[in-house]
Amino acid sequence: MMEIDGLRKSYGAKVALDGVTFTVRDGEMFGFVGANGAGKTTTMRIAMGVLNADAGEVRFGGHALAFDDRRRFGYMPEERGLYPKMKIGDQVAYFGELHGMTPAAAKSAAASWLERLGLSERAGDHVQDLSLGNQQRVQLAVALVHDPEVLILDEPFSGLDPLAVDTMADVLAERNAAGVPVIFSSHQLDLVERICDSVGIIAAGKMVAVGTVDELRRREGHRILKVEVADAAPGWEQGLPGRVVGTDDDALLIETTDDQAVLKAAMNAGRVGHFGWQEPTLVEIFREAVA
Amino acid sequence: MKGLLLVARREISVRGRSKGYLISLLVSAIAVIVLAFLPKLLGGPDSYTIGVAGSDSAAMSAALKSVKPPSITGDSAAIEVKEYPDAASAQAAVKNGDVDAAVIDASTMITDGGVSTELSLTIDTAYKEVATAKALDAAGLNPAQIAQATAGVAPLKQESVGEDADEASARMGVATILVIFLFFMLMYPVMFVAMGVIEEKSSRIVEILLSTLRPWQLLGGKIIGLGVLGLINVLVLLAAGLGAANASGLMPDLPPGTTAVLMGTLGWWILGYAFFASMAGGLGSLVSRQEDSNSTITPLTMLMVGCYLAALLSASNPKGTLATVLSYIPPFSAMMMPMRSASGSVELWQQLLSAVILAASVVGTLALGARIYRRAVWRMGSRVKLMDALRG
Repeated sequence: MMEIDGLRKSYGAKVALDGVTFTVRDGEMFGFVGANGAGKTTTMRIAMGVLNADAGEVRFGGHALAFDDRRRFGYMPEERGLYPKMKIGDQVAYFGELHGMTPAAAKSAAASWLERLGLSERAGDHVQDLSLGNQQRVQLAVALVHDPEVLILDEPFSGLDPLAVDTMADVLAERNAAGVPVIFSSHQLDLVERICDSVGIIAAGKMVAVGTVDELRRREGHRILKVEVADAAPGWEQGLPGRVVGTDDDALLIETTDDQAVLKAAMNAGRVGHFGWQEPTLVEIFREAVA
Repeated sequence: MKGLLLVARREISVRGRSKGYLISLLVSAIAVIVLAFLPKLLGGPDSYTIGVAGSDSAAMSAALKSVKPPSITGDSAAIEVKEYPDAASAQAAVKNGDVDAAVIDASTMITDGGVSTELSLTIDTAYKEVATAKALDAAGLNPAQIAQATAGVAPLKQESVGEDADEASARMGVATILVIFLFFMLMYPVMFVAMGVIEEKSSRIVEILLSTLRPWQLLGGKIIGLGVLGLINVLVLLAAGLGAANASGLMPDLPPGTTAVLMGTLGWWILGYAFFASMAGGLGSLVSRQEDSNSTITPLTMLMVGCYLAALLSASNPKGTLATVLSYIPPFSAMMMPMRSASGSVELWQQLLSAVILAASVVGTLALGARIYRRAVWRMGSRVKLMDALRG
C-alpha cells in the first residue's frame, strides 16, 4: 500500500503542492488526473525520491519510503530518458541490473519484455534509431524489467498509437492483477475511466476529489435526471421542481432535488421511455471538480 | 558499491567499444611510434660511399674508414670507400650517384650540389688527418714517429658544471613531449565526463537512474569508468612509445631515468584526472542541454590550458621561480612537477610532497564536485547557478 500524506512543495514563491494526500492499495489501479501544472509530476517525482518534499511523507507498506524500497519500484518519468547511443537490449538489461538483478536474470527479463512489446528484432539497435512510439515501449520495458512491486508512471499513454495503448493497458492490468499498485497520470480521461479502480483529481496543488470512479459519480451525480416521455405534449415540463439544463436526443436533462415529483409529472404527460439519474462521465466530474 | 561498479562497467563497455575511442587510440599510438622513430628518419642514411682518386688515395681511404661520423641517434653511419683511377672517373661517379662524394688528391671534395653536415664533417676530419700527417712528414718526422706522438692524445674530456648540462636539450625535449602528452591524455577523458553528465541530464535518464542509484554512485562510476579507459590509453601510448624508442635505437640516447619519469607520469595522470574529472562532473551537472555546456565547461578548459601552457613554457627554464612555485600548487602541479622531474631538476621528496598536496586537493574537489552534482543534477531547465548548487 502506498500512502501519499500531506505533501507540500514550493518553488520560491510558487506553491506546487499544497497538502497532497491519497492512498493506493495493493492491486489498485490509480489514475492521477489534473490540468497541466496542477502538480501531478511533482507528486510522482517526490514519490520516486527524485525530488524532496518541503513537508509530508510517502509511506509504503506502513513505513516511510526509503531508498531501498524505491529500488524495487518501476518508474517512467514524464520526460522520457534513455541513452541514445546504447543498444536497447543492453539498456533494458542494464536497468535490470541497477535494480539488483543478476546479469543473467536481467538479460533474460530484458529479452522477454522486448519480445512482449514487439521489439525483439530491434534489440541490437540504438535508441536514437527508433520511432518515438517504440522508444516509449523501451521506456516501459525499463520500468518493468525488474518485476517491480509498485509502478509509478507519468503519462505512460501519451504519444502511443491505439494498438500500443491497448498493449500498455493490458500490461498494466496484468501487473495490477498480480497485486502491484499502479499509479499513472493521464490526460486521456476516457481511458482512465475505463481502466482505473480509483481516480485522484488534482488542481493547483490540492487534491479536489479522490475515490473510486463510482464514488465520484455518486458524489457528483444524482443531481440531473434524464427523462424521456413519448407522446408528451410540448411544454409538459413547465412547472416541475427544478430546471431543464439540456437535452440528450429526445430526452430532457432536468436538474432537480425532487425526483419523485418529476416522475409523477412525466407519467402524467405520457409513456415514460426512460427515467434515471444521468451518470456523469469522468470528463464532467473533472470539469466540475476543477471549476 | 555494486551500483558504482555497474555504472563504471557501462561506461567502459559503451564508450570503450565506440569507434571514436578505438580510432583515437590507434591514431595516437601511431603518432607516438612515428615520434620515436623521427630522429632516426631525420638522422640520415645508415651508410655513405665515398670515392677517392689521385695522389694519397691510400692514405685518404684509410683515414676515411677510421672516422666515426657524428650522429644524433648514437648509431654512426658506416663508411665505404671506392677507389677510382683518375679524377674524371671519380667525378663521373659522383654525378651519376655511385658515390655520395669523392675526394681528389686528398685535397678537393667533389659533391653533387653539396652534402649533409654529417658527411661533410666526416670527410673534413679525414682530410685534416691526412693533411697533418703530410705536413709532419714534410717537417721531417717519419710515420712511425707521428703515430707514436699522436697515440698519446687522449679524446676530448667532457665535464659539466651542472648536473644535467650535458643532457639539457634531450631532457627539455622529453619534458616538452611529456607535458603535451599529459595535457591531451587528461583533456579527452575529462571532457567525456562532462559530456556524459550532460547527456544523462539532457536525456532525462538521470531521473530513472537517481531512483535506483545514489548521486555519488552515478558520478563516481562515470569518473572511474572513463578513467579506466583513459588509463588504458595512457598505458598503450607509454608502451608504444617505449617499445618504439627501443626498436629505433633512440633509447640509449634518452637521458638516464627517463623510463622512471614516464612511469611516474602514470601517477601524475591519475591524480590530475581525478582532480579535473570531479570538477567536470560537478560543472556538467549545472546544465540541462548540450548547447549550454560551453558556459559551464569553459572555465575548466581554460584552467587546464593554463596548466598546460605554464608547464610547456617552463620546460626551457625548469628551475625558474614560476616553475618551482607552481610545481607545488594544484592543479598546476599535475603537469608542472612531471615536467620538472623529466628535466632532472627535482628531488624525489619534492615530487612526493607535491603529490601529497595534489592528492589532498583531489579529496577536496571530489567532495565539492559531488556536492554540486548532488544538488544540481535533478534540476532541469535553465542553468543552475553555481552558488545555488553549493548552498542549495
